[in-house]
Amino acid sequence: MNIIACVKQVPDTEAQIKVKADGSGIEDGQIKWVMNPYDEYGVEEALRLKEKNGGDVTIVSVGPARSMETIRTALAMGADKGIHICDAALDNADAFVTASALAAAIKGIPYDIIFCGQRAIDDDSGQVGAMLAELLGIPQLTLVTKLDFAGSSVKVIRPIEGAQLSIETSLPCVVTAQKGLNEPRYASLPGIMKAKKKPVDVKNAAALGIASDVKAKVAKVVPPPARAAGKIICGDDAAQKAAELARCLREEAKVI
Amino acid sequence: MEHNIIPIGIGNEGREVFWNAQGFETILFILTAVAMAIFAYGVYQRWTLWKAMGKEEIRWDQLPLRLKSLFVNGFLQIKTWKDAYPGIMHGLIFFGFFVLIFGAAFDAGEFHITEPLLGWSFNRGNFYLGFAFLMQAFGLCVLIGVLMAMLRRYVIKPERLAYKGKSDNTADDAIALLFILGIVVTGFLISALRIRVTYQETPWESVRFVSWGIATYALAGVETSTALTLHKVMWWTHTFIVLGFIAYIPYSRLLHIITTPANHFFASLKPTGYIEPIRDIENQESFGVSKLEEFTWKQIFDSDACTRCGRCQDGCPAYLTGKHLSPKKLVQDIKTHWLEIAPAAIKAKVAAVLAAEGAGVAAPVAEATEGTASGKALLGDVVSMHELWDCTNCMYCVENCSASIEHVQKIIDMRRYKVLTEADFAPELQLTYRNMENNSNPWGIGAHMRADWAKEMGIKTLAEDANVEYLFYVGCAGSFDDRGKKISVAFAKILQAAGVSFGILGTEEGCCGDSAMRGGNEYLFQSQAQANIEIMNGYGVKKIIAICPHGYNCIKKDYPNFGGNYEVYHHTEIIADLIAKGKIKLTKSQDGIFTYHDSCFLGRYNKVYDQPRQILNAIPGMKLAEMDRNLSKSFCCGAGGARMWMEEEGERINNARTDQAIATNASTIAVGCPFCLTMLSDGIKDKQQSEKMVALDISEIVIKAMGLEETKAPVDTCAT
Repeated sequence: MNIIACVKQVPDTEAQIKVKADGSGIEDGQIKWVMNPYDEYGVEEALRLKEKNGGDVTIVSVGPARSMETIRTALAMGADKGIHICDAALDNADAFVTASALAAAIKGIPYDIIFCGQRAIDDDSGQVGAMLAELLGIPQLTLVTKLDFAGSSVKVIRPIEGAQLSIETSLPCVVTAQKGLNEPRYASLPGIMKAKKKPVDVKNAAALGIASDVKAKVAKVVPPPARAAGKIICGDDAAQKAAELARCLREEAKVI
Repeated sequence: MEHNIIPIGIGNEGREVFWNAQGFETILFILTAVAMAIFAYGVYQRWTLWKAMGKEEIRWDQLPLRLKSLFVNGFLQIKTWKDAYPGIMHGLIFFGFFVLIFGAAFDAGEFHITEPLLGWSFNRGNFYLGFAFLMQAFGLCVLIGVLMAMLRRYVIKPERLAYKGKSDNTADDAIALLFILGIVVTGFLISALRIRVTYQETPWESVRFVSWGIATYALAGVETSTALTLHKVMWWTHTFIVLGFIAYIPYSRLLHIITTPANHFFASLKPTGYIEPIRDIENQESFGVSKLEEFTWKQIFDSDACTRCGRCQDGCPAYLTGKHLSPKKLVQDIKTHWLEIAPAAIKAKVAAVLAAEGAGVAAPVAEATEGTASGKALLGDVVSMHELWDCTNCMYCVENCSASIEHVQKIIDMRRYKVLTEADFAPELQLTYRNMENNSNPWGIGAHMRADWAKEMGIKTLAEDANVEYLFYVGCAGSFDDRGKKISVAFAKILQAAGVSFGILGTEEGCCGDSAMRGGNEYLFQSQAQANIEIMNGYGVKKIIAICPHGYNCIKKDYPNFGGNYEVYHHTEIIADLIAKGKIKLTKSQDGIFTYHDSCFLGRYNKVYDQPRQILNAIPGMKLAEMDRNLSKSFCCGAGGARMWMEEEGERINNARTDQAIATNASTIAVGCPFCLTMLSDGIKDKQQSEKMVALDISEIVIKAMGLEETKAPVDTCAT
C-alpha cells in the first residue's frame, strides 16, 4: 500500500509572532517551527495504516530549506521516505500553488491514499487538501475523525453539527485529518537516529514543471490590536459595583 | 611439643577446653570441614550466579573510600541505627555474634595453636575472667536481639515486613532466627551444665553470670551424672547447630552477612542521586534496560544484598499512598527473576564457548537472554509499568537502605527503555516532552516569555553585563508558573537588597532537563543540558544560584558530565549566608506556626537541611514546628521523577504530605522548591485548609520579614 502524508512546517502555537514592519509577512528569525498539528494526525494515521496493512509512507512537503526538519520529524515517527519541494519561487505560494506542487510531486509516484491536515494553523486557509484531490481527480474525505480501511475502499467518520456522517469511497482518495482522529506518537530515539538516514528527494519547481501561478495574494499582514489592561471595578457595595460594571460595559466597552 | 600447662585454679582461672568432650576433637574437625565445604560450595555457586549476567562496571576503584564505606556501613552499621528498634535488634545480634566469634577463635587458637606449639595459655587469669564475662554478656545481647527479632517479625508484624498486608515471612526467616536462638541458648546451657558439675572447683565461673545463674537455680536439683550426660547431648546439639548455621549461610537470607557488607564496599561513590548518563547517545542502538542482562552486574548484585528489611518501603511516597510500587518488592522481584534465569545464562555461555571451540573459532561473547529459562520479561512481567512510573525519585529508599542499594538508577534505566527505545509512555508526559522540545519548558509556554517576570526589576541579563558574581538560574517554574514567578521576584529582591552582584540569562536560559532525565528521556535531557552549558560557558559562568532544587541538583551533579562545571547554590544557602553576614536584616515578626517541608532534591539529594531552618529561626518571633517525617526521612510532595507532569492514581501524595503538615497546627508550610510549593498549595486547597494555611517559599517569608513585601496596586482602579 502506498501511503502519502503531506506536511507543512508552521510556527509553534506558543511562538511569539511579530509582523514585519512593511506588513508583507511575519518575522521568522526567532520562531520555533513545528509540524502543523493537523498534519501530524495525518502522518500518524498513515503510519497506523502501514503498520496494519503493510506498504510504505512517503512524506511530501512544500517549503523552504528549514522544512526538512519537519520531514525528518515525520520520518522519525516512522515514515519511510520524503519529497521536499523546495524553491525560492514558491516562497509566496498560495493554496493553489502549494496544491499544484504537491499534485505534481505525487503524480510521479504510486499512491493509494493521501493524508493532509484539514488546515494549517498558520494561514488557516483549509484549501490545500481539497485542491489536491481536485488536481489529482480523486475523491476527497475532509475533516475526518475516524478511518476504517477495507481493502480497496475507506469508510470515514466526519462530525457535523449534532450528528456525524459516515462516508465511504474507493481508493485512491485524499483524506484531511481533524483533531480526534488519533493521538500522534512520540518518536523513539532509534526512530530519530534512523530518520537521519532515510531518503528525502529534494525537488524544485522546474523539476516538477510547475510555476508560481498565485491566484490569491496576501495584501497585508496586520497584527491584532494590543489588548488593553484589565480593570478592577470598585464600589462600596455590590449594587454600586454592578452599576459601575454596567456603565463600563455600556460606555467604555460599548458591548451593551 | 608436649602440653605443659599450669593447671587452672584460683589466680590462674581458666576453662578446660573439651571438658567432658575429650576425644571429640577429630570428629569435630571432620564435621567442621564438612560444614565449611558446604559453605564454600554455596558461596562458589553464588559467585558464578553473580558473574553470570550484567554489564561491566568498575566498583573497586578509590579503595580507601570503599573501605571506609565497608567500615561505617558494613561494620558500624550506621544506617541500621536510624530506626531505634530494628537498629538495636540488629546491633545486638551483629555485635554479639562478632564478639562470640572472637571468643570461639580465642578458645580454638589457644587450644590448637598457642598451647601445643608455644606452650602458651593466654586465656587465663584476669584475661579469662574478663573474656568469660564478655562472652556471656554478648551472648545475652544476641539472645535479646533474636528475641526482639522474633517478637517483631511474628507478633508486632510491622507493615514494612509485608507488602500490602501480605507478610513477607518465609520458612527461611524462621530457620535463620531459630539457628541464632539455638546457638546462644545451647551455648548458655553447655556452660551451665558444666558449671553445675564443677562449680565447687571453679568458683570464678560466676563471671559467666547467665550460665552460673541457670546452674545454681534451674539446674540445682539435677544429678551430676545426669548433668554430665545432658552436657554431652547439649555439646553435640550446639555443635550441630553452629555447623548447620555455617553451612546454611550461602543458601539462605543469612548470605547477607557477605552480600550486604560487600554491597557497602561496592556502593556508589558519586554524589547522592547522581544518575549515570547514557554516554555517546548518538551512537547507541538500544537505550536503557529492558532485560536483566542490560543492568550492570552491580545493579543485579544489589538485589542479593537486600534483606527485605523494608526500610525503603517505610517512607516510599508511592507505597504509602497505596500505589503499586514498593522499592523492596521491586528489588526482590529482580532477585527472583535473576535466580530464575541466571543458571540458564551460565549454561548458554558454556555451550557457546564449547561450540566455538568445536568450530575452531574464538568464543563469541555469548549473552544468554531472558526467556531462556523463564517466560518472563523484566519490563511488564517482573516490573509492572505501574511500579516503573509510580516512582517520584524521592531517594528515600536509597538514602535509608541499610544495604546501599541503588533503586533510582534502575528505575531510570528501565524508564529510558520505555521512553527512548519504545516511545511507549504516558501521553501527558509526551506532551510535556514536546513542550520542552519546542519551548524549553514543560508547560509549553512561549519561550520568549521566559524573562517576563523580571521586567521592570532592573535585573540585567548576562548578555547585557556578564561581569557579575552569580548567575541566577531561574528555571522553568520561576519563569513561567505564576506561583513560581513570585519566588523569583522575592529572591531577586533579596539579592538586590543585599547588594549581591548577579544576572540572569533571560530568554537565553533553557529548561534544566531534570524532568526529562528522570522520566527516562535522556536524549531530551542531554540536548537541554548541552544548550544551557553552551550558553553558560559562553559567558564564563562560575557560580550559579537556583531557586528550584531540581535545576540545582542536575546542574550541580549531572551537567559536569557534559562539560558544565560550576559552583552551584540553592537560594536558601545564599539567603542563610546573607543573614549570617548581616547583609539582610529580618526585622518583622511573622505570626503563626511554621513548618518546614524538606524538598527531596534539596534535603536527601544535597543535604541542605540546616540552612532553610537557620533562615526561619532568624526571623523574629518564629515558631517552628517539625513534621514527624523530616530531614532524611522527609516525605515527598509527589512531584519528583517527572511525576509533576503525570496523572496520579488513588490517594494523592501531596495530600498525604499536607495532612502531615496540618498535624503540626502550622499556619504556614515553608518550602524551598517551586514544585513542592505547587503540590502543597494544591494539597491545602484539596484539604480545604485555604482559610487557615498557606504554603510559601522561604524567600517569600524572608521578604515579608525584611518588610519588603510588595502590596501591588491593581492594574487600573477606579481613579475617578
